Amino acid sequence: MKAKLRRMTNSKLFTLTLLLIVIIVIFEILSKGKLLSFKNIRSILQSVSVVTFLAIGCGMLLMSGNTDLSLGGVGTLGPMVLAFCIAAGLPWYVALIIALISCALCGLGNALMVNYLNFPTFIATIAMASISQGIAYLISGGKNIDMKDPTLNFIGTKRLFDFIPYTFIIAMVALVIYAIILRKTKFGRSILLVGGNAEASRLAGLKPKKISFILFVNASCMACLAGSLMCARVKTATTAGLSGSQFTGITAAILGGISFGGGTGGMMGALVGIFILNVFNNAMQLVGLSSYYQTVMSGVLLLVALIYDKIMENNRMHRAITAK
Amino acid sequence: MAHSLEFKNIGKLYPGVKALDDISFRTEGGKVLALMGENGAGKSTLLKILAGDIKQSEGIYLLDGKEQDFKNPHEAILAGVSVIYQERQMIPALSVAENIYAGFLPKKGGGIDRKTLYANAQKIIDKFGLHMDAHTKVARLSVAYQQMVEIMKAYSRNPTVICFDEPTASLSDAEISALFRIISELKEEGKIILYVSHRMAEIFQVADSIVVLKDGKYVTSMDVADASEEKLIRAMVGRDIGDTYANLKRNDKYGDVVLEVKNLNNAKVHDVSLTIRRGEVVGLAGLVGAGRTELVRAIFAADKVTSGEIILDGQPVHFKSPHDAIKAGIALCPEDRKEQGLVLFRSIRENTTMPVLSELKKGAFLDKKKEKEIAQEAIEKYDIRTDTMEKLTTQLSGGNQQKVILGRWTNSLMKTKLLILDEPTKGIDVGTKAEIYQMVCDIASQGIGVIFISSETPEVIGVADTIYVMHNGRITGQLKREEATEEKILALAMD
Amino acid sequence: MKSSLFKRVLRSKLLPLVAVTVVVVAFFGITTNGFLSASNLRSIMISMCLSGMIGVGMSMLLISGEIDLASGYEACMGGIITALLIKAGIPWPAALLITIAAGAVMGGILAFLVNKVGLMGFISSMAMISVYNGLDYIVTKAQDVTITAEHASFYSLGAGTVGFLPIPFIIMVVLMIIYGLILYKTEFGRTIYMTGGNRAAARLAGVNRKKITSILYINNSAICALAGSLVAARMHCANAAACTSGSIDAITAAVLGGVSFRGGDGNMGCLFIGVALVTFFNSGLTASGLQSYWQIVVQGLLLVVALCIDFVNERSRQKALSQVAI
Repeated sequence: MKAKLRRMTNSKLFTLTLLLIVIIVIFEILSKGKLLSFKNIRSILQSVSVVTFLAIGCGMLLMSGNTDLSLGGVGTLGPMVLAFCIAAGLPWYVALIIALISCALCGLGNALMVNYLNFPTFIATIAMASISQGIAYLISGGKNIDMKDPTLNFIGTKRLFDFIPYTFIIAMVALVIYAIILRKTKFGRSILLVGGNAEASRLAGLKPKKISFILFVNASCMACLAGSLMCARVKTATTAGLSGSQFTGITAAILGGISFGGGTGGMMGALVGIFILNVFNNAMQLVGLSSYYQTVMSGVLLLVALIYDKIMENNRMHRAITAK
Repeated sequence: MAHSLEFKNIGKLYPGVKALDDISFRTEGGKVLALMGENGAGKSTLLKILAGDIKQSEGIYLLDGKEQDFKNPHEAILAGVSVIYQERQMIPALSVAENIYAGFLPKKGGGIDRKTLYANAQKIIDKFGLHMDAHTKVARLSVAYQQMVEIMKAYSRNPTVICFDEPTASLSDAEISALFRIISELKEEGKIILYVSHRMAEIFQVADSIVVLKDGKYVTSMDVADASEEKLIRAMVGRDIGDTYANLKRNDKYGDVVLEVKNLNNAKVHDVSLTIRRGEVVGLAGLVGAGRTELVRAIFAADKVTSGEIILDGQPVHFKSPHDAIKAGIALCPEDRKEQGLVLFRSIRENTTMPVLSELKKGAFLDKKKEKEIAQEAIEKYDIRTDTMEKLTTQLSGGNQQKVILGRWTNSLMKTKLLILDEPTKGIDVGTKAEIYQMVCDIASQGIGVIFISSETPEVIGVADTIYVMHNGRITGQLKREEATEEKILALAMD
Repeated sequence: MKSSLFKRVLRSKLLPLVAVTVVVVAFFGITTNGFLSASNLRSIMISMCLSGMIGVGMSMLLISGEIDLASGYEACMGGIITALLIKAGIPWPAALLITIAAGAVMGGILAFLVNKVGLMGFISSMAMISVYNGLDYIVTKAQDVTITAEHASFYSLGAGTVGFLPIPFIIMVVLMIIYGLILYKTEFGRTIYMTGGNRAAARLAGVNRKKITSILYINNSAICALAGSLVAARMHCANAAACTSGSIDAITAAVLGGVSFRGGDGNMGCLFIGVALVTFFNSGLTASGLQSYWQIVVQGLLLVVALCIDFVNERSRQKALSQVAI
């Protein structure tokens, strides 16, 4: 029992949660109590939902050893397709399926470029970002499209007990599902193994290419959902959409302990990372800093996350070499 | 005054392994000294020390009577030592001349003196009698020509010592003649030449004297005039086999043919045919680069096969990936267990169950209880020294890591028919090696066919029932254990 | 067998690239009115400057095996800094120098992250995109920073001409020539190829990779800052949205021009043709009435095409290097 307690306190998850609590406390004081107000927590939960989907998509890919920088563009395309189909008279679930398919195709494109054409991941996905963003523009003719569907608007704006947004509930359900997949299924195990050593996994019978395809498509679909939820709340599919948000997902994932090199991490850590990110952003707003400060901070946070991750990686390497 | 190079009591210690032990010998300018020995004899290590790439653990080396201590390759080059490695160090986008003079480009004013650069380079090219334009980008050259550029690069630094490490591996006869002509010119210029090669014929053609290393130790030296192939082979092999192999409980019951390979071809394998029966341990012997790893990778579908047949249990098979091969019952323990065998930062449990994850499913999820049973089975069967199965494999010793990989392929959920082991005892201590030999024989006793690759000839003779020898991607001979000797195998493995 | 200069030009990557450029120019020249008019050509040449100058710094980095994706944003920052300084009354030559110094600092940050901390260039520079982007907006308070008409001499730097050629174009060409000479004629230039082409060989030849990459990062950011200033000069103002697509344009142009992604290959001549091709192509699309958002798609597709070509080149290169004559 004592050993288990010790292992828990030594774990990354514990440190991260501690960090989150510290940040909350600091900003609660700085914002003179506004951070933990009812209304504010509500809005934090709302923004967490969108980022959660992005972080799930990015996180799974990162764990398998890949990156996806196209999610901003894809997350703009998805809601555009959705709004367009709804405006054309299709029922919301059909429109959603079509939107998901269109984003899945983007993910497929990424997977093809990375696996069969051997493009460096980041450049391939950057190219896809431009392409998907451009297609979004094409569909919208450069304007925003209204998304007036009662079901979607209900999900997007309403809250359970007027406190917990439905989008948050959906996001948490998704998170739990993916966490279970990661920890308890063969597929989830394969992701971590392939991320740890793709060649050794291949020689042991796993299929890195298949996993890569699935995860790229998954990430794009997640981005679609993220963008759609966000637009459902404002009842419009905007041309700006999720552009620039590809980093939010990556930052949250890496802050949550999912290593950039692949092979470690989990959804629970990602959740803490998401909260850290969102609380930080929200707090900055409360304290009176404009959203541009948030942009700067998101870059800084990403760097901090990367540096921290690098230090952890060096430690692991060091321990591996000396433990013989 | 002739140049001289002397090694005095050179030793190099790696964790668990003594790569070089008390090496001492001397050579002079104007002579070609050949370094011979089997794999692992220490030849490359000695060259790397001389080149400043690694540092010796003990002993000194002297150039022209002065003690040297190169801290990095650059210092060695400045001191007059040039080593031509097997792996080419070319910059493809730059021209031949720029590669020859890389790091030492002639300068004029603030920039490169192009005229001198190309003129000097062309002079060297002409001196070597090659048909090459100094302006050509190296990327356009054939591998053989790139090798020549590598040699010219070493020459351009006006070295006192030039070392060749298997220089003729990718050269045609004409180019080899050019090389030997160059070497004789270098001799005339009074340079010291070290020549490492496995090709007997070449050694007799180009060398003046030979030093033989074995297991990191100096064995003997002789003048080429007094040498003969038998004498050399006897010097290179012949060690105390001891009781390790005598005490092995072997399997002597063979079943049907489990694997038949017919005329297999790919980029590195040429027209290979062999058969393995159930319960038989087939050894693949040969020198590094003989194509043994490439052959088993082709069988395992880790590499593509260009032509030929693979017949498993009487049925021809066409695997598209290792996944298919594993499902059909073929298993491979790769040569590089850390890079290709294990996922280092995951636990023993996860590593041992990698191929059988599909069989561990209970509904949609993994049956954790069954997984732990399988992992425990592997730990007990192979006596893996650990207190918990959750230990990360990176924290295990080499021997235990190898056992994890063995355990992966022989648990009760795997229906392995053929187990391939590529250098399974590399870097492992003697005690664990003996354990592994017995485990291999026990596996064979269960009716599984085994392919055993090793560059240590006594190991192959000790463990295998039938031995195939390979050279340059081809099978050069087949021997039964009873009739095999180290000399015979080495003779078949060399050219 | 001395291959003549003629044969070497024929075999090089330059020829197909020039051919495609000529085809593109001809196509748009025929199908669009006024495409080849003097004023349009002049404006195309001015457009080439941003991606061209960024491309110079970027190519140096790419050849050495590194990358800086924040280049466009560094240019934006440069323009803003210059505009602010001029507005504050500092004469423009001094403002330019300070801007270049600021660019050097930006490059220094990346050099630190890549060399000292050990992060990868692409993700660090991507993080810096957010930092610079946010800072751009904060510093300008999300408004244009105007450079009033009294700074006519500065304006002419950005929009003036010497004879037929716009001044920024001349500056770009001069930079390409200077850096092309550095790459070709100096030992430093050759070591850049070595660092990118074969790290092991570079190490054995005693090349200090970290020093080279630091220099190149600082160099790139300084050039980008300067490029941004020139754009600001021409536009009479700087704002936080300017130059942001500069990185992608520059990379596309460079890769099309034969600067390999894996490092160790490419030169300034090819970069110039690549820049010309991309700019003419984009201009032609705009001139033929294609909406701006199509252009974003085309931008992405062009990059994919460039990468495919690079991929094919790389494959044939690897094949040649690995053939063993058995």
